[in-house]
Amino acid sequence: MSVERVAELFRAGRLAAEYPLVRGLLSAADGDGLRRAGHVLERLRPDDVLREHPDTSVLTVAVIGHGTVGTVVPVLTAELARHGLLMRPFLGDFQGYVVELGDPGSDLYAADPDLVLCVLDPAVVFDEVGVPWRVDDVERVLGEKVRLVERLAARFAETARGTLVLNTLPLTSHATAQVTDHRSRARLGAVWRAACSDLLRLGESNPSVVTIDLDPLIAEGIAVTDQRQSLYAGQHLSAELLARYAREIGHLARHLAGLTKKCLVVDLDGTLWGGILGDDGVEGIEVAGGYRGRAFTAFQRTVKQLASHGVLLAAVSKNDLGAVREALDKHPEMTLREDDFVRVIANWRPKHDNLRELAGDLNLSVDSMVFADDSAFECGLVRRELPGVAVVALDEEPALHAARLLADGWFDSRELTVEDRSRPRLYREELVRKDFLDSFASLDDYLTSLDVRVRLEDAADTHVSRISQLTLRTNQFNLTTRRLQPADVQAFAAEPGRRVLAVRTSDRFGENGLTGAIFVRVVGEVLHIDNFLLSCRVFSRGIEQACLLAVLRHASAAGLREVLGTYRPTAKNGKVRDFYTRNGFVSVDGGADGGVDRAADGGVDRAADGRADRAADGGADGAAWFRHDLDEIADPPAHVRLFDGLAVPETGGTAS
Amino acid sequence: MTTIDDFVALLRDELGLDVGREDLGRSLDEVAGWNSIHLLALATRLERVSGRPVVLPELLKAGSLEEIYAAAVGP
Repeated sequence: MSVERVAELFRAGRLAAEYPLVRGLLSAADGDGLRRAGHVLERLRPDDVLREHPDTSVLTVAVIGHGTVGTVVPVLTAELARHGLLMRPFLGDFQGYVVELGDPGSDLYAADPDLVLCVLDPAVVFDEVGVPWRVDDVERVLGEKVRLVERLAARFAETARGTLVLNTLPLTSHATAQVTDHRSRARLGAVWRAACSDLLRLGESNPSVVTIDLDPLIAEGIAVTDQRQSLYAGQHLSAELLARYAREIGHLARHLAGLTKKCLVVDLDGTLWGGILGDDGVEGIEVAGGYRGRAFTAFQRTVKQLASHGVLLAAVSKNDLGAVREALDKHPEMTLREDDFVRVIANWRPKHDNLRELAGDLNLSVDSMVFADDSAFECGLVRRELPGVAVVALDEEPALHAARLLADGWFDSRELTVEDRSRPRLYREELVRKDFLDSFASLDDYLTSLDVRVRLEDAADTHVSRISQLTLRTNQFNLTTRRLQPADVQAFAAEPGRRVLAVRTSDRFGENGLTGAIFVRVVGEVLHIDNFLLSCRVFSRGIEQACLLAVLRHASAAGLREVLGTYRPTAKNGKVRDFYTRNGFVSVDGGADGGVDRAADGGVDRAADGRADRAADGGADGAAWFRHDLDEIADPPAHVRLFDGLAVPETGGTAS
Repeated sequence: MTTIDDFVALLRDELGLDVGREDLGRSLDEVAGWNSIHLLALATRLERVSGRPVVLPELLKAGSLEEIYAAAVGP
């Protein structure tokens, strides 16, 4: 079995070398299997894996809390491995979270974690209420703890660059049953929920915080506490609940590592409706009528709900396209209509070929796709041919389709942006553009008639979420692939001499929204371009040249001597390897000192502000440097209209 | 689980520990890969396979894998 294979590889000393296989081996593992695999995987040294596979995404995850929380480490290691990630763990001391978060010199901060899981449990409160306690005592301690956690979270935001994960405190009958009158018991529930509510709202005011609501997880039927493990070992949340929590953290980690899925591809017969369209006809399929029809409608509603959050929906079905279109357009009970899909593909080709082609048309990687099908054959084939695609295996029970699709939070993200809401429309327009392109004899004719407009401006506070998201989602046109949380973006922009530029684009088909960002920094007489990102929807239309040349013109006007750009290779950004050299830059010999003044490279303030330097950091990991001496700046592409909204600084020394 | 060999198999399969019978008498500090979290996971597994509750304080006091086995299957 797959989990045993992980153990075998470990015993044979080959697990690090074969780490890319682990994701597939664990893809169908149940909770028990993940726990067992976790005990093996936690013994694997991340550096050994990185030596063999330097492109593996690695996250440093700290686990701290009030009680014994180490149980979460192995299962979390397996959950991250299941998504192809590698975890570097840091385990805090028993009851150590206050000191660890509160002291900027703590080992926790020294570990420079990407994620800090501060696992809170009911004992945080009941250890301090004394005996006998009244509901007033609980209310008082809850208030103190919430304020404490707020202060610790603020300290975290000032000190660290990562994400702090809190959780709500579960209230158990073990507590409520110790209050014997119903009036007080109800009040206990009310004050408890009010405190949890404050914890849940903390992320609204502190962008470093994510709060996991444990109630919906517990409602799946998971015991909150094992009294013996709580009393004897200080583990106040059950191993089952910690494992379920770890699964949620896996989804968050996948998002933070830039691996959020973007496109949901569904089968039709047996998946969106019952029956076989080709045999039963449009009138004969089960859509809403009857018991099973009800289940298919429920699934369609769930799919539509996900699509409203910016998930691109496509259908791939072995059917005749005409019949499928008729079913989607004409069936009176259908919830999903053709307009809800960015593309409906119905033909008789292998599904993996259709998925590959769809990914190409949408300019996405197949790894960003989730495929849901009720046929074990089709699921197996896609798994084998396209191992990066997440396969949701459905079966003949449509009532469980939605739960299976939702079980893995494939599309979870931190925050929804305006662009997310309109993404499906934008991609549909993109496919129209592609058809438009196909009607032109040359690319130049096409670009000229496309009427591309670009607005380059300093990023405003309202752009921070979207720019962070671009750093998290963009893999191809991403010169350094530094993943930045919203607070990282803010911190970068707040530093003197540093600017974050926002790129907004539109064309004859409509607005594309905020599709790019440029991170720049002035050191002495040199402008550094720390990162340059552009959504895969809009590159190769001259937008990137127009923006880069505008930055060069601003640098020249500000009297700067030269511009340095950085490129850090990853598995997915090979396309932009020569971006700088194609635009008048020359390669600076690599290496640590290679002609680039590394001492001036933010070194002085590196210790002072970890967040800002997270964005600026470059060079140590295969990064290449390119220089433009500003003597000759090329003309921008004629077909692009640039609206230069960059503020000119009051004094010299920034990009303008 | 009835025999000491079953116990060794459990340690290997459930916790991924590379241990044999010769390791059972060692102090837990000297068992390669052992950590205190393993004890809680092991307690749960022992209960599941043996079908009877373990006395957790006895397990927590154990200084070697042998003593854990004795506490789990003992009278």
